[in-house]
Amino acid sequence: MKLKVYRYQDGMESPRYDSFELESRPGLTVLGALFQFQEQFDDSLSFNYSCRGAVCGTCGMLINKVPRLACRTQLKPLLRGELKVSLFSYPGIMETIPWDPAKEVLVEPLPHLPVIKDLIVDMDKFFEYYRFVEPVFRTSDLNPEKERLMNPEDVKQLEEYTNCILCAVCFGGCPVVGQNPKYLGPAALAKLYRFHLDPRETTDTSRLEIADIKNGWWACDSYGNCRKVCPKGVPPINAIENAANELKSKKK
Amino acid sequence: MITNHNVLIIGGGLTGLRAAIQLFDSSLDVAIISKVHPLRSHSVAAQGGMNASLGNVPGEDGSVDNWKNHAFDTVKGSDYLADQDAVEKMCREAPKTVIELEHMGTVWSRLKNGKIAQRPFGGAGFPRTCYAADRTGHNALNTLFEQVNKRNIQIYSEFFVTSLIIDQGSCVGCTALDYLQGEVHGLSAKAVLMATGGFGRLFNKSTNALINTGDGQALALRAGVPLKDMEFVQFHPTTLYGTNILITEGARGEGGILLNQDGERFMKKYAPNSLDLAPRDVVARSIEEEVAQGQGFEGDYVHLDLRPLGAERINERLPGIKQISIDFSGVDPINESIPVQPGQHYSMGGIDVDIDGKTRISGLYAAGECSCVSVHGANRLGGNSLLETVVFGRLVADQIINNVNNIESPPKKLAQANIRKSEDHIKALIDREGGENQFEIKEKLNNTMSTKFGIFREKDTMLEGLNEIKKLQEKFSQVSIKNKDLKVNKALIRLLELEGMLLLAEVVALGAIKRKESRGSHTRTDYPERDDTKFLKHTLVTWEDENMQVSYLPVKLGMFEPKERVY
Ligand SMILES: Cc1cc2nc3c(=O)[nH]c(=O)nc-3n(C[C@H](O)[C@H](O)[C@H](O)COP(=O)(O)OP(=O)(O)OC[C@H]3O[C@@H](n4cnc5c(N)ncnc54)[C@H](O)[C@@H]3O)c2cc1C
Ligand code: SF4
Ligand code: FES
Repeated sequence: MKLKVYRYQDGMESPRYDSFELESRPGLTVLGALFQFQEQFDDSLSFNYSCRGAVCGTCGMLINKVPRLACRTQLKPLLRGELKVSLFSYPGIMETIPWDPAKEVLVEPLPHLPVIKDLIVDMDKFFEYYRFVEPVFRTSDLNPEKERLMNPEDVKQLEEYTNCILCAVCFGGCPVVGQNPKYLGPAALAKLYRFHLDPRETTDTSRLEIADIKNGWWACDSYGNCRKVCPKGVPPINAIENAANELKSKKK
Repeated sequence: MITNHNVLIIGGGLTGLRAAIQLFDSSLDVAIISKVHPLRSHSVAAQGGMNASLGNVPGEDGSVDNWKNHAFDTVKGSDYLADQDAVEKMCREAPKTVIELEHMGTVWSRLKNGKIAQRPFGGAGFPRTCYAADRTGHNALNTLFEQVNKRNIQIYSEFFVTSLIIDQGSCVGCTALDYLQGEVHGLSAKAVLMATGGFGRLFNKSTNALINTGDGQALALRAGVPLKDMEFVQFHPTTLYGTNILITEGARGEGGILLNQDGERFMKKYAPNSLDLAPRDVVARSIEEEVAQGQGFEGDYVHLDLRPLGAERINERLPGIKQISIDFSGVDPINESIPVQPGQHYSMGGIDVDIDGKTRISGLYAAGECSCVSVHGANRLGGNSLLETVVFGRLVADQIINNVNNIESPPKKLAQANIRKSEDHIKALIDREGGENQFEIKEKLNNTMSTKFGIFREKDTMLEGLNEIKKLQEKFSQVSIKNKDLKVNKALIRLLELEGMLLLAEVVALGAIKRKESRGSHTRTDYPERDDTKFLKHTLVTWEDENMQVSYLPVKLGMFEPKERVY
């Protein structure tokens, strides 16, 4: 099996692709394969990593034209074609070079974010939109003595959204983000919805109004790629649809 | 470039973020420096929970938990090596800390009556561990990051700290490589708090994030601060076979059981009372014993069976564990047992600090996993370290607030000189053409640490190990890297990490060789008993003139007299 990996650094006119024959090991992940490349072939290959267990959100990349976490993607099932995800197509995942999905794994940087080097992208814009939605509790009590009570059912509902690891995989997978760079994107909107849903915070629609703008809830075209690519089972599209409906019924 | 702040925090995990909030709210100009974006810190991976004697779930006999019970379990768990004044402080502050997080927004799992849920954890007399499903660290870290973000606290993200700036015995800042730009910066401050986490990646089988390379401990050691109790390394009994990703103790807390090749619940033999929920050191040794006796599965693992819990409970309480085992070993725990084996998990030892988080260098503080205050002694109880990060992150920040106003800002020229030193060092590493390969050295180091300083230790093999470490240190002086760029050079970052790890390995080795007893996680087959007359004391290792010096420090006893530790 081969790794085909995108290489780019400042000063290059256009990116190139390097190929590398991998030593197969049981359970080998794309992240493991990138380490093999770095350690045995070229130590200048650049990629980000931390937890290697799909919890820190560092290693989002475009793998075989699907945005995924490199540490969570195993090579064998990928080559066997078992990890297929059918996405609504968009320019970010169109063919760049030919590759043989039965023998090669194609690894490229996450779409929709500027490439710093090789597989490292600049996440500033992603976090700018995160900040825009004011993701924080508005509590005033700084010296609380007692916990506030919460219904376990409410907790369960909230967990769908608190599970987001801010990996930007959905941001790279959303066709609208590709067309409209000002769109807040699925992750920021899902985060906003998480605060709206929390019964300890607002009970009205005031939170939702933060994204009641052209590039907020209303920019979503319901492609649904976000839910399909999310490695944590977060459904941003549901958040967006619910929020839009709540706002609409309030405006009526 | 040189920048100036009142206080610098090195590390953006739970410890660093909690401290930053406290300092900011006291109107200090505080900045966080982190080699990864704070949300990528290792704290995000913590699963099982945080201990606090909220008393929301009664004990077996219906009694209600309190901080003293928590303190007793912690001290006993530590095999009496913890300092009891620090333990008392942590356990008293625990309930407040969990409630504070709740008010900041953490979504704790709840009981039917709406209160924060608590689960049993190893070595604890009560169900005391508060949790957010099995994603406690993720939830807590996001909450604190949200608070830091709201305050607009300055974060130097993807800055790798390369040295501490010491002037006339005081710490007045640090230098850091902004590795995306390839520039060394000088950061001056009146006080520096180290919150850099553990050093698990010294070992080859570890649950830790790949970035847990103990940089902070090495920085402190080089600056002249002793490291304390570094030989005490926790091995978690249940890590996923293959990747060694953690399978939380909460899985056994919820009712999961360990089985050997014959399907026997072997913990009955080793801890007849606590069974699968005996403390980590006990369970990890039991698994190693089973495997050594040929009762394990091929590849040296045993089974963790969650099926007794049933699908509903697994889905509700352990959704992350289910996902991990499907993703990384193709096993759905609803239908099959999970293959597990022990792996390095936690660093009990660390930068020597007093109960206020102060090191011996004025202006330099440490808290969280990189420090040793010591609340964990020879063995940490699950759920106590998340607690430690948030409690001491706050308390040590309070100490800094009390002290920092009397200090003058350090002169800029100091930072300038230190930038140059750091640049020269980096340049020398990049330019070197010695022919040794850093990745081979790292692999050898990992193997040496795991085989010679693992769960079972013994004099001769440890001496061999120390020898190997020294050889690897020598090889390091001949390492060359191919990538010669300053900008985005990950090979360079890995090299800087390795440089520190080689120093720490020697510290661990010396402490372990000289501690001729078995206590907590430190198990010597040649000295199987705990020896309170000779070793009820902390190990200190300093690095002076390129030489390691070992000395000892008395343990602070208190309420609880040392007793034999039976479970
Ligand atoms: C898999 C796993 C699960 C766990 N589960 C639990 C649990 O359920 N309950 C519990 O109590 N404990 C648990 N622990 C332990 C607990 O998670 C850690 O002890 C704790 O999170 C450490 O937090 P910290 O803030 O001290 O350090 P970390 O979160 O490790 O943060 C360290 C920070 O320092 C920075 N840093 C390091 N070196 C440098 C450098 N050279 N330059 C700049 N920045 C640097 C990093 O970027 C990072 O931001 C678990 C540990 C593991 C491995
Ligand atoms: S919603 Fe999912 S894909 Fe998007 S950032 Fe969060 S975890 Fe990643
Ligand atoms: S390395 Fe943390 S999500 Fe992949």
